[in-house]
Amino acid sequence: MTQTEQLLKRLPNDIGGTSADPISVVDHELEPWERRCHALADVLDFHKIINTEEKRRGVEALGTELVGKLSYYERWIACFANILFQKGILTPEELALKMKEVESRWDDFDKESTQAARS
Amino acid sequence: MQDNIAETKPLAPKAVPALGETAVYAKGEAVRILDRTPIGHYRVPLYLRGKHGVIESVIEPTGLNNEEEGYGRNAGSKLHYYRVAIPMTEIWPGYTGSPRDGLRIEIFETWLERN
Amino acid sequence: MAHEENGHDHDHDHSHAEIGQTERPGYYDNLETVVRELLVSKGYFGPDEIRRQIEVLDSRTPALGAMVVARAWADDAFRKRLLDDGRAACEELGITFYDQTGLIVLENTDKVHNLIVCTLCSCYPRPVLGLPPDWYKLKPYRARAVSEPRKVLAEFGTIIPDDVEIRVSDSTAMVRFLVLPKRPEGTEDFDEVQLAAIVTRDTMIGVVEASKDIRRGE
Repeated sequence: MTQTEQLLKRLPNDIGGTSADPISVVDHELEPWERRCHALADVLDFHKIINTEEKRRGVEALGTELVGKLSYYERWIACFANILFQKGILTPEELALKMKEVESRWDDFDKESTQAARS
Repeated sequence: MQDNIAETKPLAPKAVPALGETAVYAKGEAVRILDRTPIGHYRVPLYLRGKHGVIESVIEPTGLNNEEEGYGRNAGSKLHYYRVAIPMTEIWPGYTGSPRDGLRIEIFETWLERN
Repeated sequence: MAHEENGHDHDHDHSHAEIGQTERPGYYDNLETVVRELLVSKGYFGPDEIRRQIEVLDSRTPALGAMVVARAWADDAFRKRLLDDGRAACEELGITFYDQTGLIVLENTDKVHNLIVCTLCSCYPRPVLGLPPDWYKLKPYRARAVSEPRKVLAEFGTIIPDDVEIRVSDSTAMVRFLVLPKRPEGTEDFDEVQLAAIVTRDTMIGVVEASKDIRRGE
């Protein structure tokens, strides 16, 4: 296989038998958003909005660099957004606008906290 | 006992299974995992392509081809998955563990051929 | 949650307490909120479904798998049913398979040691063990468990004699695997509660052997 063929044919997740570091027995307690993200994945699969196999394909489709650098649930939520765009369920614009709104909730919260601290 | 059953007149005509309902490979059969290179999405890891093994069991019930499921095909014709046993020495020529050691994996019917 | 006690009201449709956060969430945290709330507002599913699924996930821990293993050790008829149809036997004990996967239980014996891995992603018997640990999802384990299982096991402190066959099951499709560890010596007098207490998550992945002196943390 040429180098570009190799890039096309080996999925970023297909790593069985490749060389890797010694095992480091690491774990962490899931963040609240990670638990929500996992529950979201399950509910998306129950309704076949995004089935589990589409999620796997969506993660692979992020490409080697993102698969390597994003954390486990960061990859999931990024791939959900991409697949929902592809299916016409969400649009990038809707998502961007909603993102602004969600971020602004915490502007209110910060303002309130500052005021509370002063009073 | 079996002979008696065979000789008894059946109560109904034989039910014909649909295409794909009957497993093509049987427990104990020697098979080869195909050496294909699909792009996009697949569920047969590269390290097993072209390797020889034996059917350890037929997975029931039948399932969708998960390469198609990966593109949102949630229904369609189902086929069997097979639990295939492959010696480690078949996969890794320089395998240093015991020669008895082996790998097991489920492979979809369309990815197998008779050895 | 001090601000909640102020009795403030503002016009968005949740309380900060409900989503359990006290500081500005990060980008991906917000992205999850955005995707979920947009889908709920479009009627794809209700917010109760996510809450319920979080409860489902929280209820799935290695204690369930340990209960299954302890029953199999204590009750030979159950052990046979478990090896014959893992899912049906777990269902007998009230464990449902919400993710529609099947379950094959792999029995460790004096002659065979089983180990489970998912090289392509992170398939894991979630209904019975809960969510997998990080090391199970990371490259070193996924890459090496299938090519040098004895070295990987040694890194977990597990030495398997050469006359014992190692079987590595790489999960890829609709079936998940659970290792039924060997019942350790010195547990002949243990009841099911005592047996369950020594069945750790890692013994059911197959990276370590059960020991009468090692207890499962919660």
